[in-house]
This record gives sequence, structure tokens and C-alpha cells, in this order.
Amino acid sequence: MQGVAIPITMVAGDSYIHRLNPLPKLFIALGVLILSFATRNPLVLGVVFALGLVFVTAAGIWKSYLRVVGILFPISLTLVVMQSIAPAFPRPWTPITDFGPFTIYQEGIYSGVSMLLRIFSMTTFALVMIMTTHPSDLFTSLQKIGMPYVLNFILTMTLQLIPILQNEFAIVLSAQKSRGMKGSGFGAVLPSMVPVFVGAIERVQQLSISLESRAFGSTGIKTSFRNVTMSLKDYVIMVLGVLATLATTVWVIADKSLDWSRTLIFPPTLSIIIVALAAIGFVAFFILAISYVLRA
Amino acid sequence: MPEEKIVCQNLGHVYPRGKIVALENVNLTICSQEIIGVIGQNGSGKTTLVKHFNGLLKPTSGKVIVEGNDTAKKKVQELAAHVGYVFQNPNHQLFAKTVEHELEFGPTNLGLSREEVEERREKAIEFFGLQDLRLSHPYRISFPLRKLVSMAAVYTMRPAVFILDEPTTGQDNITTRTVYRLIERLREEGSTVICVAHDMILLAEVVDRMIVMRNSHLIADASPREVFSDTELMHSTHITPPQITSIGLRWPGFGEKKVLLSVDEAVTAINSSNPPANS
Ligand SMILES: Nc1ncnc2c1ncn2[C@@H]1O[C@H](COP(=O)(O)OP(=O)(O)OP(=O)(O)O)[C@@H](O)[C@H]1O
Ligand SMILES: [Mg+2]
Repeated sequence: MQGVAIPITMVAGDSYIHRLNPLPKLFIALGVLILSFATRNPLVLGVVFALGLVFVTAAGIWKSYLRVVGILFPISLTLVVMQSIAPAFPRPWTPITDFGPFTIYQEGIYSGVSMLLRIFSMTTFALVMIMTTHPSDLFTSLQKIGMPYVLNFILTMTLQLIPILQNEFAIVLSAQKSRGMKGSGFGAVLPSMVPVFVGAIERVQQLSISLESRAFGSTGIKTSFRNVTMSLKDYVIMVLGVLATLATTVWVIADKSLDWSRTLIFPPTLSIIIVALAAIGFVAFFILAISYVLRA
Repeated sequence: MPEEKIVCQNLGHVYPRGKIVALENVNLTICSQEIIGVIGQNGSGKTTLVKHFNGLLKPTSGKVIVEGNDTAKKKVQELAAHVGYVFQNPNHQLFAKTVEHELEFGPTNLGLSREEVEERREKAIEFFGLQDLRLSHPYRISFPLRKLVSMAAVYTMRPAVFILDEPTTGQDNITTRTVYRLIERLREEGSTVICVAHDMILLAEVVDRMIVMRNSHLIADASPREVFSDTELMHSTHITPPQITSIGLRWPGFGEKKVLLSVDEAVTAINSSNPPANS
């Protein structure tokens, strides 16, 4: 019953990245987010993604990272399939080959592959940030740079609620199974969502009462128990990180030669293989996921 | 001749998250028609132990055999017909739109006919006194009653082994009485009952056998009389026996030590040892 939970939460550790102040991590993750949206060039995105993996290694969070990727990757594969046959790209599209009743377009497969890389470069940095930062430290740091208290609270609360809900879902599912839950597919799993959501709403209701009874809405300057200091090193890393992502963003926007959508030619056979593998990967994942959830 | 229902052989469980050792080398045989209480401090491994009895947890070492089936090879859904499990928190268990639907879910999964399902539902409604709540949403009724609904929902499945995790925690007197009656009823029907509880008074009155857990080990397995009178054992697990038992042990009026489990027993014992002085 443990298997269902995918903790998108802090992974305890004492790596260099863990010890870094939350702000540089947050700003670099944001910078990468902007950069990833600024370009479709697979090489640039691929390099950013590879750099992200270097940080995953440095932080020593491969195990937790792979668990998230294990879910995210197959789902993102749908993008490759959908994009290839219906590109989110200005027409005219260049057909490469027929794939059953569909036509695979050059722009589509380019856009699909780059979207996949985009998602991964973005989420890798975001995950490194989330998995190496204590939620309270993030909270305190955001507070310091003037994030409104309530907004800040909502953000960190949500981050903390995710693992709780996952855990809850696992318990509810096991309760259903111990009453002999029959059937497979979403139809069978869906009823388990009811107690999870009712529980979540109840929890939030109680939380709000408890918060108010502890003077949540009071005005005045709030102090914090956790103290997060920003060393010179943190500043340097933050400034360098922001400059690097910004400069790259400007470069990828300015340099028109990076638009490879019509020059990076996918041969027909390769295109079919990519699209077919993506489709098979997703369907296999879907079947596996459901049977896994329903397994005792 | 009682038959073996659940056998644990060198059972151990380590939770993968944080490598927490929750059970170590537990050996235990539970037979048909036994009424068993499981006690121990918070975190001693009680819930972990009983979750092995219907396959919700699989042993990380050793074995659990339920009615001849190795639980490692069985799905929870398959074991559900043999072993019913009432969760500590009813909110985790209830999901249907009405109490009636809730009660029908289990027996329907067992593949019973419509008439049988309805008959069992009616019996459960009557036994648990849920007549007025038939069409209520399980989340709209009070917590104690919701807990009764969750027990009723398992009762309709008529499992040979019935596991109750803290059935009386947070219950008022009336619903606690219903839990007593349920256990008595299950005893009459020949079910095996395993009851995890911190409510020593309940256990003293209803169980025949107590299993004491401490620090993921099974440290005692005996009758409530033996367990409650073992002051050293009680002290080491930070459990307080029912007050009436403590009084009985320290009452100088009885010639020898008397282990009392209920007020009725106490009254009888006092009357016989020390007849009221007639003027
Ligand atoms: N899902 C889990 N993952 C990791 N550790 C767990 C999990 N569930 C329980 N534990 C740990 O295992 C140990 C035994 O827990 P268990 O729930 O069996 O205790 P318990 O005797 O039922 O306690 P209580 O009286 O509080 O219900 C505890 O240390 C607990 O923290
Ligand atoms: Mg427990």
C-alpha cells in the first residue's frame, strides 16, 4: 500500500545544493522556466536538461527524481504523438509520411520532441529546488523578499498537502480493497477519490479555524522561528544563475538560426519509430499504472 | 476442535519509508472462535500486525497464513471474504452516497444475489440501529454513528475473522455499548474477533486472550486475567489495567490475590469474602 505515493517533497540530505539558500535555487528554477519557453531548439533544451541532471546528481536525489519522472515521462509522450499528427505550429506543415490514418508532419515531430525536452528541462530544475529545500525555509525566504503572507502561505501549504493527499489516497484504496473492491480501470478507483477529497476539504476547514484561533489574520510584522541567512556565496550564485539564464534567453530569442523546425529533418522511418514508441510507451504505462494501483 | 485461522511465523515488517522496523519475529496462532485483544503503546506495532491478517501489508520477513493461504501470494480482495477489517478512521472507508449503498458494497463484491445482499443489509441496519439513517449520506452523520456504519459495512460481509482497529475510541456510551453487543454477537455466530484497543475496560469484559505488543515485539500472549495481574508487564508497557482490577489486587480483605475484571465480579467477590456484618 506504500507503492502508490509519489512524494514530491523534500528529500533529506546534506548536499551542497541542500545547503544553498532557497532564493538562488528558486530564481534559477524560474530562469530556466522562462528560458525553456523561449526556445524550441532541441539542442539548447537538451543541454539545459543535461545540466539539470548534473544538479540531480549533486543533490543525490536520483531515486525520488526518477519516481516522478517515471510518471511524468509516459504522460508527456502523448505530447509527441499528438504534436506529430497535429502540430501546434503555424501552417503550412510539411508532411513526412503516413502513419495509419494519420499524417506525420515535420513541424509536428520537431515541436513534439522539443516540448518533451522543454517539460523535462523545466521540471528537473523545479524538482531539484523542491526536493532540496525545506518548505519552511522556502516560506521564510519568500517572506523576506516581500511575498504577501497569505499568498506565500497558500503556496507552501499546497506543497505540503501533496504528500499528505497521496498518503491518504493509498489508505482509502486499501480500505476499499479490504472490502473486496471489484473491477479495474478508473471506474473502480474513482470512488476512492471521494473520501480523499472530502477529507481534504474537512482538513482545510479545520485548518482555517485553527489558523484563525492562532491569529493568522493579524496585522503587524511577523517574525519567523526559522532563520534563513543569505551568505555572499548565495548572492553570487543567485546573480550568476539569473544572469546566465537571462543571457541565454536573450540569445535564443535573438539568434534566428536556432529555429531548426525546417532544417532538422526527420527521415520517415525514424519519425514512425518515434511516434510509435511514444504511443506504445504511453499505453503501456497506462495499463501498468492501473494494474499497479489495483494490485494488493 | 478449533481450527487454525491465522498463523504468523517469524513475522517481521520493515516500512520502506525511513526503514522503520515495526514488527520483529512475531509468532502467533489464532484459532476459530477466539476473541482476542491487541494492546500496546502508541507506535508499538498493533496496527501493523493486524494489517498483515488481511494482506494489506505483506511480511518483509517470515510468513502469514490465513485459512491455509499464504498472504504474500493473495490479493487483499481475495482475502476480503475471509477477513473483515474495520479501519481506525471511518472516513477512510466510506464513500457511497447513502448508508444503504455503503452496506451493499461489500456483499455485492462477494458476488451474492440481490436478495441476499438486501437481507444482509436489513439485518445490519437492525442490529446497529441505523433505521433512521438509511438514506443519509455517510458523511452527514456524526462521527460515532459513522464508525458504526463502517462496522456494519464489514459485518454484512460475514467474514470468518473480524478485525476492529480501536472500535471505541472517541465513542459515547451508547455506541460503545453497540460495539460490546457486536463482539458478543460475533462470538455467538462463531466468528473470530481481533480487537485493537486502548480501552482496557472493554477488553477486560469481552476478550478471552490478550496479545501485548511493545517496541515491535510480541511480549505477552495470555488471558486478560494473567496480563492485567502482571504488574511488571503492565508497568513496562505503560498500560493501566482497569481500576477495578488494580483495586482487587491491592484489597487486603481478600485472603489471596484476586484478579477482578468487572464490577460484577468485584461485588460477588466482596460479598463472599466479607459478608456484610449483621447487627
Ligand atoms: N506507513 C508507514 N510508513 C512508515 N512508518 C510507519 C507507517 N505506519 C506506521 N509506521 C511506524 O511503525 C511503527 C508502528 O506503527 P503502528 O501504526 O503499527 O503502531 P500502533 O501500535 O498501531 O500505534 P497506535 O496505538 O498509535 O495506533 C511506528 O513507529 C510508526 O511510526
Ligand atoms: Mg494503530
